[in-house]
Amino acid sequence: MDACNVVDQVQDLQQRMIQFTKAATTKIRIDQTPRQLVWSLNKTKLYRYRPVFPEEKRHRLPLLLVFALMSRPSILDLRPQNSYVQYMLRQGYDLYLLDWGIPGLEDKNLKFDDYVLEYLTRAIRKLKTFTGVEEFSMLGWCIGAILATSYASLRPDDGLRNLILLTAPLDFSNKEMTFAKWIGEERFDVDGVLDMFGNMPGDMMDYGAKALKPVENYIGNYMKLWDNIENPNVVEAWQAMHTWVTDNIPMAGGAFRQLVVDLYRNNRLLKGEWYLRGERVDVSRIKANLLTVIAEADHITPPCMSRPIVDMVGSKDKELFTIPAGHIGIMVGSGANKVTWPHMDNWLAKRSG
Amino acid sequence: MAEKQATNGQSSDPADSFRQLRDNYLDAWAKSMIDVVNTDAYAKATGALLDTCLGVSSPFRETMEKAMLQTLAQLSMPSRADIVSLAERLTNLELKIDDMDAKLDRIEKVFVRPARPAWRPAAARRVTRKGAK
Repeated sequence: MDACNVVDQVQDLQQRMIQFTKAATTKIRIDQTPRQLVWSLNKTKLYRYRPVFPEEKRHRLPLLLVFALMSRPSILDLRPQNSYVQYMLRQGYDLYLLDWGIPGLEDKNLKFDDYVLEYLTRAIRKLKTFTGVEEFSMLGWCIGAILATSYASLRPDDGLRNLILLTAPLDFSNKEMTFAKWIGEERFDVDGVLDMFGNMPGDMMDYGAKALKPVENYIGNYMKLWDNIENPNVVEAWQAMHTWVTDNIPMAGGAFRQLVVDLYRNNRLLKGEWYLRGERVDVSRIKANLLTVIAEADHITPPCMSRPIVDMVGSKDKELFTIPAGHIGIMVGSGANKVTWPHMDNWLAKRSG
Repeated sequence: MAEKQATNGQSSDPADSFRQLRDNYLDAWAKSMIDVVNTDAYAKATGALLDTCLGVSSPFRETMEKAMLQTLAQLSMPSRADIVSLAERLTNLELKIDDMDAKLDRIEKVFVRPARPAWRPAAARRVTRKGAK
């Protein structure tokens, strides 16, 4: 190896490091599909995505997307080439998104009671007035699935015809799950944390999610970028995902306390012991057609958390669909537009007339 | 392996071998770390760390809050609690406005043929016209 060769290689490495640093620290624009604000209350906003087709070519029932409380819903519209929102618009749906916004200190006492029976209920009231259609479909993902399930249980006659639950954490009976171990009563001082911060800080929850697979998230993820730094498609996809992953938001303190105490520690929802504003959440009252989508390799919501609901609801039309993917990959991974989205579309299209 | 590649006319890049070695190591490390974070010992350790952080920072936080409250009061400035209280009242007002808005929507649906914004869905317009009849 001569001196010139060594110098070239050092220069290449230097160039690569500059590219890598730039790519890893650049945030790109996500969430680009045009939309209109239909309704807002406090930080919560209801958006309508601009339809692709005229009314006569669209499905009659609107579809409401309800995402988790502790992450941005922009994952549903990550990039134009990889957007669930755009896919569903192209399939002829009238699409609405409920964005919970970023809770401030004044929202630290907000609970699931408020999110389900105040915010979600009012947003649905507006959705029905706005569309002029009394029935609708709803998709809840992760914590959004808890909210959607609670609503479907408490208001079974309120026009919800189709319910899609995506990686829904509903059964907390398995105490061997990593999260359940971490936030056990003797290990995690939920009141101490909330006394200090008011809301559960987004960075702490992000650490919790990443620490489940620390090597993949803190090292492997960056290795993937390093190895593909000269492939602009991979770099752009990585940056879009990284932009979303690092956009952490806090979770309202009251709701976080319920998630830990009522659900993770006491499994009150599926035991039928969960009360929201004095009303018992009884999943057997759910009448809507149900599609439960499970990610087999989900480390945040393991399949065992989502399966039991199918046998417990009162719905006559119900289906369990399992996909070999992870918690997020199920909707943005390479197989999402080949498996997950088409299946949801096929299921929903038959029931949206 | 190197000889075989040479006879096949393929170039042997030492970086590939290094990358393979690295990936194997990372895979093994990732699996062992998943097992580690799933142990009771790890859960206890993180819990203890959190308790220590909360315990250490709590007196400082309380002292800071008291000092800040006094300073803001002397400067005739609103405290964080005042702002939070105001924001809560605004949210309550928003709830009342939302109820009024819903009532207006119902009245409009029954009695009024509205001036229709261009973005309003056709379905909503049709229902309103039916209602007006």
